[in-house]
Amino acid sequence: MRKQLHEIQEIDQYLLQAMPAADKLVFQARMLTDTRLQENVRHQQEAHHLIRQTGREAQREKLAVIHSRLWETDEAFRAEISSIFK
Amino acid sequence: MQEKEAIWLTAIYRETFPQVARVVQRLGGDLDTAKDLFHDALVIYLEKRNNNALDIQVSVKAYLVGITRILWMQKFRQDCRQQSLDTLGDQPDIPADLYAPEADKARSLRQYLQAAGKKCLQLLQAFYYEQRSMDEIAREFHYSTAHSATVQKYKCLEKVREAIKRSDIYEEATA
Repeated sequence: MRKQLHEIQEIDQYLLQAMPAADKLVFQARMLTDTRLQENVRHQQEAHHLIRQTGREAQREKLAVIHSRLWETDEAFRAEISSIFK
Repeated sequence: MQEKEAIWLTAIYRETFPQVARVVQRLGGDLDTAKDLFHDALVIYLEKRNNNALDIQVSVKAYLVGITRILWMQKFRQDCRQQSLDTLGDQPDIPADLYAPEADKARSLRQYLQAAGKKCLQLLQAFYYEQRSMDEIAREFHYSTAHSATVQKYKCLEKVREAIKRSDIYEEATA
């Protein structure tokens, strides 16, 4: 892997709490003196957040598909739900 | 694996939604509200399960119905104290950002995410949202090894991170 990918991997380990305690201390010390690294950590954390948000949306879309499929193909389901909201 | 999950999810949906619909109807809600709240409850359940943070002593069905009730009360700010949480085991913590209003920045970042490519985004979601293992991800996304899928994951993450960085710089320049 090229250098920048190594750094991304390292930041991920830090953010996902997968870094051994000793490495974590060294990493935190590096962040104090390296503003570029600090920025990269912040942006990577934002990236995680954004990916999780869109993951949640994708999950909601899958559920909407399940609902329409049941509604269209399962007559008993449709009848039961329709009778509740009649 | 994904197919098995879809079958399981459809079965639990089929089994639980009628009861959720009855509860929501009795509380005065309509079909769309029942559907929205039930989907939120399922999202909460699945996220907790994927995080290994589920600690329930009741059936999945009872849990989902309970969460839907709580979401209804949150939504309509009814008195929660009258409701018993006994059926839920641990008090479920509803993620604070479940209904987070979408900021302009998030909207523009979404476009950057799409620019990273659909496959990239799906791979990232499989790891960071669904918390699946790299072995599993490699199989599903047709990488020969978990290592090559991992390298690809970091390349995809890099694209997203760089897009965020660029939008940050843009914001600073226009602020």
